[in-house]
Amino acid sequence: MTIDVGSIEEFPEGRALVVMAGRTEVGIVRWSGAVYAISAICTHQGGPLCQGVLAARLTAGRPGEMLIDDAAPVIACPWHGWEFDVASGEAIWDPTVRIRTFPVRVANGRVMVETETRRGR
Amino acid sequence: MYHGPVIDCDVHHARADDAELLPYLSRGWRDFITDRGPAGNMPLTVQDGLPNPHGFMRADTFPPGGGPPGSDYETLCRQVLQRGDVRRAILTFGDDSHVAGLHNPYLATELARALNDWSIDRWLSRDPRLVSSILVASQLPDQAAAEIRRHADNPRMVQVMLVDNPHHSPFGHPLFHPIYAAAEETGRPIAIHGGAAGWANPASTGGGNISLYFEAHTLWPQVVMTHLVSFISHGVFEKYPRLRLLLIEAGAAWLPSLLWRFDTEYKGLRREVPWLRKLPSEYVAEHVWLTTQPLEISPQREQVAELLGWINGAERLCYSSDYPHWDADESDYIAARLPASWHRRVFFENALEFYGWQAADLAPAGEAALA
Repeated sequence: MTIDVGSIEEFPEGRALVVMAGRTEVGIVRWSGAVYAISAICTHQGGPLCQGVLAARLTAGRPGEMLIDDAAPVIACPWHGWEFDVASGEAIWDPTVRIRTFPVRVANGRVMVETETRRGR
Repeated sequence: MYHGPVIDCDVHHARADDAELLPYLSRGWRDFITDRGPAGNMPLTVQDGLPNPHGFMRADTFPPGGGPPGSDYETLCRQVLQRGDVRRAILTFGDDSHVAGLHNPYLATELARALNDWSIDRWLSRDPRLVSSILVASQLPDQAAAEIRRHADNPRMVQVMLVDNPHHSPFGHPLFHPIYAAAEETGRPIAIHGGAAGWANPASTGGGNISLYFEAHTLWPQVVMTHLVSFISHGVFEKYPRLRLLLIEAGAAWLPSLLWRFDTEYKGLRREVPWLRKLPSEYVAEHVWLTTQPLEISPQREQVAELLGWINGAERLCYSSDYPHWDADESDYIAARLPASWHRRVFFENALEFYGWQAADLAPAGEAALA
């Protein structure tokens, strides 16, 4: 199901804003011109993920170094600091641990999120 | 019971007296130490800050001819090498192991150099089953690195041993890295021996300085935990990917819970250490081994083995006696505490692989000739 969650102008660059996409809480992230849609709830203990810090991923080529990967936004849950790659949903420390991501596109200035239709509930 | 071959990873050898070491010192340092008139020689070892109420040595290990335990080859041979099929004993020095606890860094550096030469000359020459640690004075890491490289071509100087910590930061701090660069370059593992704090000052522990030996010995693993966490956090294994680490005389059963916590902390705090590319437990699984002594005693025998199973104890543990210390573990005692299926690995094969030896190259028991 594709849901219109608002105008692109409603989502400021460098922030994660939570919207309802049908009955699903989704975090819309704008970063370096791209738009991402992620779960608003942390996989770990159900924390409010999108209230955490959204930042470029920190990397290092060697111990003691601190580099920025501007192309890789990371969101850190405000509960316990677990970091997730916004594009893939994978935890930085283990790609098998992840948050949900949703297909998203911008059409005619509107942000369109695809959510799954749940059945049997 | 276990009747197979044994590698004992912690055997403390000692000097009978100062006179035994003096020929290995440079003339200048020898005169500095001995020319004190009626005051006698300058003390060459760090004095114990927390006396053990029993004494530190097993009473039965004092050589019949005099001298401290561990100072007489025949006694050590009878009590260690000939008790079972011991193929190798890794010598770890006695009180001299605390050379990094000396305040004078230049004297410590000279003593470490002399002690290594003494170990080669007075011990390794006597028995092919004996191999030695390389003692370093980590007060001056660059000179410690030079000492490691000096032994690069001697395969019987098998590891670099760190005991006392002369600096305020634990062993993962970059100030120690010249030592690890030399160790990796020469293919030697690092061995951190229990008591790896300021031994005489007294042993420091998290929370404050303790005042009783009872406290010190209970908290013995604490400083080793600190060094292990420091090693991984500062990315030592990222910087020196071929480096291996052996933790000696700190027991082992504390490691599973530490790693559970360490991994959990990494998940939340990776941002501070982006140079780490794996979970802390993965670095440990690839780079770190532990010796058994003093093995934790659980109320039920199977409990400690179950706990050690969480760190793959069968592959990760290497037997150590800690001879001639008061709390040394006999091999039969350890065998009774660990699953029989682990015995050959723990008593022999894990150390064999850790030191990169071939079983065929290890002299069978009884081959060594007494001098």
